[in-house]
Amino acid sequence: MKIKLDPRTKIYMIFVVSAIVMMSATTPFLWGLRILTTMVPIALLIAEKRYASALRFFALYISALILTFYFLSSESTGLIRALLTGYCGIIAQFLPAFITAWYVIHSTKIDEFMAAMQKMHVPDGITISFAVVMRFFPTIKEEYGSIRDAMKMRGIFLAGGNAAKMVEYRIIPLLFSCVNIGDELSAAAITRGLGGKVKRTSVVELKLHVFDWLLILLFSIATVIFILNKYILL
Amino acid sequence: MKNIIEIKDVSFQYKGSEEGLLNNVSLNIAQGETVLLCGASGSGKTTIIRLINGLIPHYYPGEYSGSVFVDGHDIKNTELYDLAGVVGTVFQNPRSQFFSVDTDGEIVFGPENIGLNPNEIRRRSAMVVKDMNLEKLMGRSLFDLSGGEKQKIACGSVSALLPNVVLLDEPSSNLDWDAIKDLKNEIVKWKSEGKTIVISEHRLWYLKDLLNRVIYMDSGEIAGEYNGDEFFAFTDSKIRGLKLRPVKIEEKYIDKFSDISSGQGALRNFSDYGDSIKLKNFYFTYKRRPYIFRKKKLSANDADILNLNMPELDLPKGKVIGIIGRNGTGKSTFLRCLCGLEMDCTGEIIYRNKKYRGKDLTNLSYLVMQDVNHQLFTDSVEAEVLLSMKEKDIDKCSEILERLGLLEFKDKHPMALSGGQKQRVAIASAIAAGAKLLLFDEPTSGLDYSHMVKVAELLKELAVSGSTVLVSTHDPELIELCCDYIIRIDDGKVISSDFRNCAMDLHTDKDYNLDNRLEEDNENAV
Repeated sequence: MKIKLDPRTKIYMIFVVSAIVMMSATTPFLWGLRILTTMVPIALLIAEKRYASALRFFALYISALILTFYFLSSESTGLIRALLTGYCGIIAQFLPAFITAWYVIHSTKIDEFMAAMQKMHVPDGITISFAVVMRFFPTIKEEYGSIRDAMKMRGIFLAGGNAAKMVEYRIIPLLFSCVNIGDELSAAAITRGLGGKVKRTSVVELKLHVFDWLLILLFSIATVIFILNKYILL
Repeated sequence: MKNIIEIKDVSFQYKGSEEGLLNNVSLNIAQGETVLLCGASGSGKTTIIRLINGLIPHYYPGEYSGSVFVDGHDIKNTELYDLAGVVGTVFQNPRSQFFSVDTDGEIVFGPENIGLNPNEIRRRSAMVVKDMNLEKLMGRSLFDLSGGEKQKIACGSVSALLPNVVLLDEPSSNLDWDAIKDLKNEIVKWKSEGKTIVISEHRLWYLKDLLNRVIYMDSGEIAGEYNGDEFFAFTDSKIRGLKLRPVKIEEKYIDKFSDISSGQGALRNFSDYGDSIKLKNFYFTYKRRPYIFRKKKLSANDADILNLNMPELDLPKGKVIGIIGRNGTGKSTFLRCLCGLEMDCTGEIIYRNKKYRGKDLTNLSYLVMQDVNHQLFTDSVEAEVLLSMKEKDIDKCSEILERLGLLEFKDKHPMALSGGQKQRVAIASAIAAGAKLLLFDEPTSGLDYSHMVKVAELLKELAVSGSTVLVSTHDPELIELCCDYIIRIDDGKVISSDFRNCAMDLHTDKDYNLDNRLEEDNENAV
């Protein structure tokens, strides 16, 4: 089953999930709701045929939850438990937002994203900056790979254990090549009319389908419940 | 005929740079002409291209006098985005001229920018895809395409804006021969549509029969102007005198480079000559079979998935060995395995009766990457070389720098050096690390003739001083200049491994054997 979501739904999802993870879940019902909203992006990843990452996220999240609820409590002592508490706390708290962002980045084409931003009347300047950032992720990954290779060959992969050097050897070449690529990239883009005064058009047709509305409804309800619990009922 | 491009008395100098200076250049190009700009690096070819597409003065500021008109637009007073439908440019580096990450988005990128109606954009996109045979490339990620495929999409993306003038800035630098053929077809198509085409290029042979005019640039001035046919009839020595790459490539190179149907060639075996390098069991694949507990070692039995399949290979020591073959056929993979970057590769190298495998390979061999910026880490040339030494030895470092002509730059920042100098810094650190096998991945792509000659001389020197040099290349000129030995790879397999003269069938004498050849080499070396 292929589910094609509108980028606007995805952006809404990011906002809602980020908000929910920032609000405390105090009752089992709220926890259940939070877990439910986390399962949505995982299910969407499965629909995108990204089984491996879906499984990885799922296992990571569930194991953190199980540890939190069954093995750790406020009376836990000892170093390992202390570390585990911190680790599980971070995973259980923030992983949902991370999964959602990961899903959105891997399932949205740049032109869809730009079309969505235009529809929401976001200024072109902001849209283009975001698009450039998305364009640059894979480039950075490629460049970073080459630099790691070069370091392996030189035998300086760990820079003799010197952490500052380890960072320096990675960042400096990376910055140089990204600056060069960025420079060439913008030259190529503006010769093809980027940044003109005319309003950009888009061949991507965006429409919110049933599934988009369902998700928006679900996430809106979740937000309302969390807000009610936090600010009104208490 | 009406002039579509008029460059009048233009002088230009980039801000904060001595390079790329143009001196009082005037040039008129008529509608429908195809013009080549040639000349050494830094002679001003690219600067002229930028004058026409408006990147100068709007993107690269500097001191500018004179005027440029393109299709009635005064470039100085026209905003870049208004030129988008007038002038289209294909750039040199296929990696850095994309805005989208997928092919469909890239083709429609220009038309979307100038605000065309979506239906019109769809019509144009379909037309471009059909005209340029891009069907197979649609719907794919640009990061998964080969250099040649990326360049095709770049051409398509320019075409979709229907510009009257098409500029190409060293478009073939990173392409193999098949991809160059495709590029040539694009140019032929544009020419037949009556577009005006200006090409700046080092590789010249593929442009034969396409050009109306050739403009020869030298230190920022137009130093010669020839008619296309006249130019391609020049003798080799005249072309060399102009410091240009050859205009004629012998048929034999075209056959050897792009066509493997010539079948299995000789596979030399040096077992009788103790002093050779033996490669064994070089198997590697990018599509690993899934495994549960232990990775199964790759072997010849996995032939269906192997990207590299070399059970045995003998190489002569102390020679320059050229590696040729089409793009994506395993040349780079071979080099990566040789220097121990692919940990899954099971191969071993026997060098001076010592076996090297796995991680040891990084001590035996060193790869000078195509983009040498990736392998310079420190803030001075000297520190860069010292970084490679286990025991820091300033004297030895100076000696190496002296040998490579870098001593005077020892306190400079490596990133402040020219491309060729950076390459030599990388070589210096390889020598300092004690690498015996020096590997080069297409070291001459995008270089002009005189720089290529310099690289060739350097490679020969390295071989004479005892290193074994392996160089993968698409430049027959480089092979002609420096390779003693040639390995041809296709589909991950070595299809021939032989001395250049034999591989290129320069010796018809069947009895010409290894003894003659080694003797000859020894004489040459003396």
